[in-house]
Amino acid sequence: MANVSVAAEWQLLGDRYYRKPDLYHPLRWKHIDLSRNKVACAPFGGPIALIRDDSKIVQLYAESALRKLRIFNSAGVPLSETIWKNPGGRLIGLSWTDDQTLVCIVQDGTVYRYTSHAELLEPNFSILGQEYLDENVVECVFWGNGVVCVTDACKVFSIADFKSKNPRPLRLADPAPEGIEELPHCVAVIEPQYTMSGNVEVLLAIGDGVVMVEEDEVQPLPLPPGDGPLQKMVVSGDGRFVASFTHDGRMAVYSTRLEKIFEYECESALPPEQLAWCGLDSVLLYWDDMLLMVGPSDEPVRYLYDEPIVLIPECDGVRILSNSSIEFLQLVPNSTVSIFKIGSTSPAALLYDALDHFDRRSAKADENLRLIRSSLSEAVEACVDAAGHEFDVSRQRTLLRAASYGQAFCSNFHRDRIQEMCKTLRVLNAVRSPEIGIPLSIQQYKLLTPSVLIGRLINAHQHLLALRISDYLGMNQEVVIMHWACSKITASLAIPDATLLEILLDKLKLCKGISYAAVAAHADKNGRRKLAAMLVEHEPRSSKQVPLLLSIGEEDTALIKATESGDTDLVYLVLFHILQKRQPLEFFGMIQARTLARDLFINYARCYKHEFLKDFFLSTGQLQEVAFLLWKESWELGKNPMASKGSPLHGPRIKLTEKAQSLFAETKEHTFESKAAEEHAKLLRIQHELEVTTKQAIFVDSSISDTIRTCIVLGNHRAAMKVKTEFKVSEKRWYWLKIFALATIRDWEALEKFSKEKRPPIGYRPFVEACIEADEKGESLKYIPKLTDPRERAESYARIGMAKEAADAASQAKDGELLGRLKLTFAQNAAASSIFDTLRDRLGVS
Amino acid sequence: MGSRGCVRFRGIYVLPIRGKKCLIIDPKLGGSLSSIIQTSLLKEHGVELRHLSAEPIQSDCTKVVFLVRSKIDLMKFICSNVHNDISKGLQREYHVYFVPRRAVVCEKVLEDEKVHQLMTIGEYPLYVVPLDEDVLSFELDLAYKESQVDGDTSSLWHIAKAIHKLEMVVPEINTLILLDREVDMVTPMCSQLTYEGLIDEFLHINNGSVELDASIMGVQQEGKKIKVPLNSSDKLFKEIRDLNFEVVVQILRQKATSMKQDYTEMTTTTQTVSELKDFVKKLNSLPEITRHINLAQHLSTFTSKPSFLGQLDMEHTIVEAQSYDICYEYIEEMIHKQEPLVNVLRLLILFSVTNSGLPKKHFDYLRRELLHSYGFEHMATLNNLEKAGLLKKQETKSNWLTIKRALQLVVDDTDTANPNDIAYVFSGYAPLSIRLIQHAVRSGWRPIEEILKLLPGPHSETKRGRFSSSPSFDTLQGASANIDRAADGRRSLVLVVFIGGVTFAEISALRFLTAQEGMAYDMIIGTTKIVSGHNLAETFVEKLG
Repeated sequence: MANVSVAAEWQLLGDRYYRKPDLYHPLRWKHIDLSRNKVACAPFGGPIALIRDDSKIVQLYAESALRKLRIFNSAGVPLSETIWKNPGGRLIGLSWTDDQTLVCIVQDGTVYRYTSHAELLEPNFSILGQEYLDENVVECVFWGNGVVCVTDACKVFSIADFKSKNPRPLRLADPAPEGIEELPHCVAVIEPQYTMSGNVEVLLAIGDGVVMVEEDEVQPLPLPPGDGPLQKMVVSGDGRFVASFTHDGRMAVYSTRLEKIFEYECESALPPEQLAWCGLDSVLLYWDDMLLMVGPSDEPVRYLYDEPIVLIPECDGVRILSNSSIEFLQLVPNSTVSIFKIGSTSPAALLYDALDHFDRRSAKADENLRLIRSSLSEAVEACVDAAGHEFDVSRQRTLLRAASYGQAFCSNFHRDRIQEMCKTLRVLNAVRSPEIGIPLSIQQYKLLTPSVLIGRLINAHQHLLALRISDYLGMNQEVVIMHWACSKITASLAIPDATLLEILLDKLKLCKGISYAAVAAHADKNGRRKLAAMLVEHEPRSSKQVPLLLSIGEEDTALIKATESGDTDLVYLVLFHILQKRQPLEFFGMIQARTLARDLFINYARCYKHEFLKDFFLSTGQLQEVAFLLWKESWELGKNPMASKGSPLHGPRIKLTEKAQSLFAETKEHTFESKAAEEHAKLLRIQHELEVTTKQAIFVDSSISDTIRTCIVLGNHRAAMKVKTEFKVSEKRWYWLKIFALATIRDWEALEKFSKEKRPPIGYRPFVEACIEADEKGESLKYIPKLTDPRERAESYARIGMAKEAADAASQAKDGELLGRLKLTFAQNAAASSIFDTLRDRLGVS
Repeated sequence: MGSRGCVRFRGIYVLPIRGKKCLIIDPKLGGSLSSIIQTSLLKEHGVELRHLSAEPIQSDCTKVVFLVRSKIDLMKFICSNVHNDISKGLQREYHVYFVPRRAVVCEKVLEDEKVHQLMTIGEYPLYVVPLDEDVLSFELDLAYKESQVDGDTSSLWHIAKAIHKLEMVVPEINTLILLDREVDMVTPMCSQLTYEGLIDEFLHINNGSVELDASIMGVQQEGKKIKVPLNSSDKLFKEIRDLNFEVVVQILRQKATSMKQDYTEMTTTTQTVSELKDFVKKLNSLPEITRHINLAQHLSTFTSKPSFLGQLDMEHTIVEAQSYDICYEYIEEMIHKQEPLVNVLRLLILFSVTNSGLPKKHFDYLRRELLHSYGFEHMATLNNLEKAGLLKKQETKSNWLTIKRALQLVVDDTDTANPNDIAYVFSGYAPLSIRLIQHAVRSGWRPIEEILKLLPGPHSETKRGRFSSSPSFDTLQGASANIDRAADGRRSLVLVVFIGGVTFAEISALRFLTAQEGMAYDMIIGTTKIVSGHNLAETFVEKLG
């Protein structure tokens, strides 16, 4: 039976099964001998970097004398290579960071970084501090995005984050006391994400013990007696355990505070070449031709290899790379065990078996199904889960078919599960294909997340697959297309701008809302300014388009686009940019004909750049605007406290006003303004004189009318008259002003005298109004009878509460509406009210 | 009137600055913020609240947060505050939050003044403030002046952004009417005669409340001011806010009388328990009735003044546009009497707009008299008005008579108690703006296209877009929007945006329209600001000094 053959490949460690399927066999590379190379394999099925180990002798004829850094995908397909001729001594450490940058550290501490395309990332820098440059790096331990180095003087340095723009090396505390330069036997790190402090902790086996080193602290950790010195140490993937190899041939597992949890006595006291955790359940030890897997039970599993291997720890197992193949050693998942374990009668196994019977048209299929009816959904779930863990496509298919078969009889199974798993497997199978060479397990895929996977695909220039996957998973394709477009530009130096534009637009249009400006910026960075200009034309968002146009020097276009966008903020952005780069006159010329830009500039300059604004108006011949500015300045002088005290500052004020006047006079359209400025200057002079003669600082900056009023109130009628004549104040206005001024000082006698000077040009109503407003009914009665319009008379009487007189006047006017209104005014007064009713009746209005 | 949607705008914005701090806000933002954040809540969080001014900060907080509109002239206050601290050797942490977004020009000023590097800059994206169930404000009180006089069209961008945001929050809006205030500057210059409009004219409603002497509201506390909230959560106010003030007085009288009657019956005859219950229920509305009776009484002290009646009379005479000389002389006299400048400007604008300017002789004469009466510094005011086209020299014949007749703007027998036309809001004048919307909603722009050409401002295609046949947002909403919503009994939702402000009277008129039978639309009103002739005219007043 098929089931038997599956389980036959498993090995039992304690009570748990392990399996070791081939991921790729054979590998695509040729003539690679791992033992002669330094090897760095990125986790999550990432690329493999190889470089000849310079501590080994070069075999003439068999190898090129040139040292090369070569990068392959996990299936051994060559991706890139470059000649290694970096100075700095022997290569000590080589490892991939989380974002798949290859970090190489050489003896003198220089750090070289490469992309997966074997392109050197500038700048190089030293991991050693300035004053330790003469020391040599002897050991490097990497984690996610960081590294710890130990020098031959036993100093410890660390870089916490290679991803940051400017990775800064940090010197940690010295593990050994001053003067003692004993090198550690081995080093291990606990990643910052697992430490209390959030900083890296380094374990160093020195002498018989272990010390833990932090940034500014050294802490000796006592080892159980007899364990030290330790030959090898490695920290588990979750940062909780340390596996180690003791001097006397024992493999010991400690907590990170070195309390022993478990130990196993090996047959050899020679330390293994490699020591690695396989998931969290077992530890692998590799000697020359043997791989030993030790678990919590007594009996380990042994694998024999006749070629060198490299262990690549993953979150859920270990990948084993050899010259000819790559395998994945993992704990067999529970669902798989329940289906394929020999003699299993679990519901899932029965379901799987039922499918087999069904395919062979055996009635036993139905019998199986009936047996597991109550736990059918559980069985379906197990089949789906097991399918996910399979690398073999035909087995995935069989398991999914079993699930699907079971689901047909199962009412309460979440149907999307199978569909989802199919989707996931399609993606996984696609990236596992040797051309792509990313052999992710489902667990790794989930930990990595689809968006990071897509990021890795595009970094590997697998744009088409990335695009298809993101489309298939319903993710935004923008990031893929954007990266493609940028890579395309970089790679297409020989293609003319117009042709390349066509090619790019064709793809860019696939994605709504993509930033053409970002692509254009990239083109500009690659020295293709014309292409950038053509691309940015297609950017619909002005807020992205305009800054880019500025950066590629298209200032005119930027100004036009900013103006068209209606976004004043963008217009200002362009304005200030041009202002900074051009001469003022050139700037003025650019904005003069552009209304919005010009007006915005004026608004800005009006608040903070008065003189500059004056220059602008002068250069563009807008003299009246200059005049307004000068006039405004004259007022600002007035606000100066020195000026209001009648000091000679009046002189400059008047001068400025007169200058404004003459500028206004330059253009015919501004005669009115010119006249006003002239009058203003004259008024200032007169007011100044008045302040001097009256010794009262109350005139300056009041209006002509107010000046007249003030003079009258002060009893200075001659001065009032002088102002009147100077400014040709009309009789009408003069009367209003004088009447109200006299009422203000309640000089009723003078008022009466004034009313009799001659027949008032505005009648007697103003006299009545002034008296009523001053609440002088008696005075008002002097003038009410003189009102010629009976309506006005009626209303005036009404206002001072004389109903009878009001009614008489109203009846003279024969105005029904007026009567009605007056009646309302007297609503509270029954007697008065009836008078109006009678009158209204008489007039025949209702 | 549809109350759909507006409430969804009450968002809570949080400034991400921890700890004790001094929050200095732009005074103009105070009102709109208070409708979103409670000041008491701020105090609980250890926030000292100050208003931004030229005066230096009096606070020992080490963190200072400025919350300002992105206006150039406000920057000088921030700079002087910081410079003052520096000169005193005070070290503080400064944060500037721009409402609604950062502005290059403001940051440039901060750079010019060398304080930019001391600031942490942020944004506070407040684009829309809900004022009531159906009214949203973009809080751009200077929008009209800025775009008409200064040529600064920033507010238009802001409006577009706000409408865009509205569209996301209230997707059921399927028609948008944009109305530029420029089209109708007549209406806001007329005195509003609805209850709410009158309150605004005389007492100035600020963010949904008026501030009054306590004594007016019958509270005997010497010199104390109290805030009276005015919004639709007050049931009685909701009932009477849109009515003509005359009618409001009658309604209030009736309510008071019936209350008194019930009370008398209550004390003289025996009542059943359920009758007692009804009475108590009525009693609950007593505080509201008292409040509005007090308010109405206070208002009538203004409305009964001869000067107000005279002004109303003059407004109607100007709108009638039959007696030029009377109007001219009236305004001349106002200037001679030195009546408050803004009152003069209102009539002057109304006069100039309806006559499409004044004959040169009168134009120059009135301007001269104005400068003589109010001071030469108002040259700037006159210049502003001229740039905005609100007070200008007559160059063409006025179209106002034609417009007035064609759109029946003057309605002679208006029954204010049972109105059958929007003209009730101005006792006989139908606001032009709302008349246009009425036409648009009923039969589209097309039938009145000829009239639209006579109105100021360019008439773009969008303005005359085929309103009734295809709502302009169809394409954005996908196929479903093509279904005629009116047909399934649900009314369509129209967003009417007034660019440059709307008056309470106009809002009332719109509410009146939507309440009409056979109306297929609910309306939400968006505006740059609630305005009155007073504050609109005030924005143009500027002194040279």
